[in-house]
Amino acid sequence: MHKMDEFLSVMDEKIGSSIRKKKRLYFDVDNVHLREVVEYLFHTIGCRLSTATAMEVYNGIEVLYHFSDDDTGAYYCPRVLMTDKENPRMNSVTPIVKGAEWIEREMMEYWGITFDGHPRPERLLSREHPQNLDQPYRFRRMP
Amino acid sequence: MSKNTIPVGPYHPLLEEAEYFTMVVDGETVVDIDLDIGWMHRGHEFLSESRTFTQSIYLVERICGICSTSHPLACVHAVEDVDNIEIPPRAAYIRTLIGELERIHSHLLWLGLAGHFIGYDTLWMWSWKYREPVLELCEIVSGNRNHYGMMRVGGVAKDVDPDSVPEAMETLNMLEKKMHMVAKAAKDDPVLKSRLKGVGVLSHQDAIDYCAVGPTSRASGVRGDVRKDEPLDAYDVIDFEEIVLENGDVYDKLVVRVLETLESIKIVRQCLEYLQKKNGAILNNVKEVSPGEGIGRYEAPRGEVFHYVRTDGTNRPIRHKVRAPSYVNIPTYAASCKGIPLADALITTASVDPCYCCTERSLKLVDPDLNPYEIDLLKLSREKTAQVRREIHGK
Repeated sequence: MHKMDEFLSVMDEKIGSSIRKKKRLYFDVDNVHLREVVEYLFHTIGCRLSTATAMEVYNGIEVLYHFSDDDTGAYYCPRVLMTDKENPRMNSVTPIVKGAEWIEREMMEYWGITFDGHPRPERLLSREHPQNLDQPYRFRRMP
Repeated sequence: MSKNTIPVGPYHPLLEEAEYFTMVVDGETVVDIDLDIGWMHRGHEFLSESRTFTQSIYLVERICGICSTSHPLACVHAVEDVDNIEIPPRAAYIRTLIGELERIHSHLLWLGLAGHFIGYDTLWMWSWKYREPVLELCEIVSGNRNHYGMMRVGGVAKDVDPDSVPEAMETLNMLEKKMHMVAKAAKDDPVLKSRLKGVGVLSHQDAIDYCAVGPTSRASGVRGDVRKDEPLDAYDVIDFEEIVLENGDVYDKLVVRVLETLESIKIVRQCLEYLQKKNGAILNNVKEVSPGEGIGRYEAPRGEVFHYVRTDGTNRPIRHKVRAPSYVNIPTYAASCKGIPLADALITTASVDPCYCCTERSLKLVDPDLNPYEIDLLKLSREKTAQVRREIHGK
């Protein structure tokens, strides 16, 4: 896990607490440092973005990106937490990784997250939905 | 010439999976393509949160009919990743066996469809003829032709009968011979070569930028196969090769799949040999899954299937993320379809083996006098092959 150690030492100041398991690294990253970390993962280490997962946690909404390093089979997962549940907002990584376009649009639609700097902030799955969707899908709970 | 917009979809009587393209064409050339997905959204991620881990396996098995074991495998890998659960060696071989049988029949299905799309009905009939024994083999091994229901957290649900191995080996021997024949036919045929070489090229850089996976990226020279990168199950002890080609065109994608089928036959044979010789347990009893998170993936026929689960110590996931390979492969159309003739668009969009490729498409257009007329993309594609054939054979 030479690469993972190197990553941790280079990005030491940019990342918060981390969980390290066999071939997996989950770490917190602040929104302002996200692009820098992603730039390093995508261009320097040569990772591929598998996808991203958004979920509701007790203190907000978090987005977890999954970067796969295909040479070692390791996963680097930067986690961004947004505490403002009403108006979650974070930086988009699509300007760096083109492959993030769809998943960010999907998260935008499902969780109501605004991705700053996304080249095409449109709905992905319900672009032609006839109804006016007043709430993100995941918060449209049954009465 | 002015640009025209051609809508493709969203519903067609033959479309198994509805999706919607908008192609902007300048004369015969596609200059832009836009996609609209979501017509088939079934909410698997949300449904999974209300099911136990074992029930989730059956749920995700029904995401796709063709790669019906890739999703369950990735799902159990994800749950096993939470606690680093080990599985018995025999279970590992059975998992690998089922996964590879699925790859063979999926690749043969695609090969047949690709042949049909370009007017090579012989290739289509051959492929589907030899796909049938593979499905029968699946039935011998698992009891089902599809939707095997074999995966469990900690192993597999059903053992493979060692007495069925000789029959399975016979089928494999036959299949290997026929696949060599198909591979040779595909490689030597001048019409196929000139029809598909240089068509719908996805460049090396585009494959990296769009994060493409599976045969789509490997045909563009991007290395990456989950079976090699993170060898779970029996892949770390099995001998096989990762197929990587350089050109990124439809022809290379076809060759990658044909060669992968041959590798899969090799893997299946090794698995069967092991299962015949050695017995053992097939399931480790997993009592509980501790709170945490896990990533599971598997190399499906179309590329990496990715599952992520977050657990809280109960018997259900609190978040289950599913990412199928077509989700990252389909956006590459934007790179590979630009600048190609309309007659090549059908095979290019089908070349990533999207799940809806099991169909033909037709376009409804309205001319300046508002009279509707239809262009059959399939017909266009087949006519181009006929023209190439005439040029080569001089008929």
